[in-house]
Amino acid sequence: MGDVYIQGADMIPFGRYNDRSYFQLGAQAVLGALDDAGLSIRDIGAVYASSCFNAQSMLGQKILKEIGQTGVPCINVSNACASGATAVREAWVAIKAGIYDMVVAVGAEKNPRGMLGGAPFEGPPPEGLFGSESMPAVFAEAGMVHAQKYGTTIEQFAEIAVKNHFHATMNPKAAYRSETPLEDVLASEMIAWPLTKLMCSANVDGAAALVLVSEKKARELGMSRAVRIRASILTSDPYEPRNPMMFDPNSVTRLAAAQAYEMAGLSPQDLDIVELHDCFAVAEILHYENLGLCAEGEGGSLIDSGATRLGGRIPVNVSGGLLSKGHPIGATGVANMVEIVEQLRGEVGARQVRDARIGLAHVLGFGAAAGIHILEHA
Amino acid sequence: MAPRPGHRSIRVDGSGKPFLQGYRCGACGAVVPEPTMACRACADRTPPAPFKSPETGRLWTWTVVQRSYPGIAVPFVSAVVDLDGGLTLKGTVVGVEPAQLRQSLPLRLVYDDAGGGTDKDGAPWIGFHFTVAGEA
Repeated sequence: MGDVYIQGADMIPFGRYNDRSYFQLGAQAVLGALDDAGLSIRDIGAVYASSCFNAQSMLGQKILKEIGQTGVPCINVSNACASGATAVREAWVAIKAGIYDMVVAVGAEKNPRGMLGGAPFEGPPPEGLFGSESMPAVFAEAGMVHAQKYGTTIEQFAEIAVKNHFHATMNPKAAYRSETPLEDVLASEMIAWPLTKLMCSANVDGAAALVLVSEKKARELGMSRAVRIRASILTSDPYEPRNPMMFDPNSVTRLAAAQAYEMAGLSPQDLDIVELHDCFAVAEILHYENLGLCAEGEGGSLIDSGATRLGGRIPVNVSGGLLSKGHPIGATGVANMVEIVEQLRGEVGARQVRDARIGLAHVLGFGAAAGIHILEHA
Repeated sequence: MAPRPGHRSIRVDGSGKPFLQGYRCGACGAVVPEPTMACRACADRTPPAPFKSPETGRLWTWTVVQRSYPGIAVPFVSAVVDLDGGLTLKGTVVGVEPAQLRQSLPLRLVYDDAGGGTDKDGAPWIGFHFTVAGEA
């Protein structure tokens, strides 16, 4: 059975698109990925389209109405913040099964405005009465577990935002491209201790797309810019005693990481670059350990060491991450992989990680789902 | 009008007194906050059985919420509390200085009127909050 390759990749600049619909953003990303691969929508056998909030609107079909109604199947998926990785994973499965030679995975989103989180409930509005269901509060509570166990400080959490905002200054497609020194991060509005506003991801619109092809097709098209998918993993949350009263970002990610390293036949030490789900600054430190980038309890010292900064041992979120590139929910999982693809090809300019050959992209969906892809330059 | 539970873990007994209900699997002992068709931990087909939960426990984690959704009064302490007996609840801790908060801090559940609201028929809600155990 042959491998699956990424032949085309593109994302639109993330930001606010008040005058365009989410499917127009998605269509633009698909055209960009097709152009990158030198292909037409007429070559594509199926479309896997992700949106957390609009998958049920027939997103894929709406995209094809913009760029060519070829009559191919459209599979529309929603899986919280892991929606994009889910679309890519389904596209991978279809090619792996030998059903198609060339498919598109696209994520497109216009997020609702304001702070996300909370669920409908029959009874008094629970927010404030029974703690908080806001996403910043939920992740702050997860971060405080780490802080209590290992003594992780607010400064260490804040340094994640400093790093990722610095990285974004080199990414013209990032929504926010201003450097934020530590004192600015700490002085920005406190949302939920220890998370200040600059430690929360940017709620923006965006879209990203990939063209996945079979090994046979990749050889026909030329391997020089092809990127091989070494692992494609999707998990749901295993039982944890406090779940669902306490969201657990760790176990679902650890399950995915173990399976991804096994499928790839690789270990964390083999990675040259990582894009992980920094929805909030505390999450990046948790995922350092969840992904095995450092030992248990050493997430704080890993950020202190500079190892995860551009130029360090294992650069993380060089795109600027969700914190500053932005987090259009259903597009994020695809966009993380676009960054890895372009890094492995050596096409990103100032933020290029030197000699990057193997990269990992991770997303985490609340509720829960984790998606991990390990990519290698062919 | 008789008060109604304003939270899914609250039940009211025959005399109108509120209590907390959790569900425990007879096969593996896992405790969950809502009824399920089989055990979500071990997949045993006998549904976890309801039990009356103690109202004392210990703080697992928390945050001080300084900004919530529009119209929600801040600041407040949002906490995850491990009750004695295995049930975990999310709740608001009242009357505590943030500097006092630490993992394993003993807490006690106190029933309240859930902010004073009513359902559409005018029945008052029963809610709860947590206080530091040993304090009024």
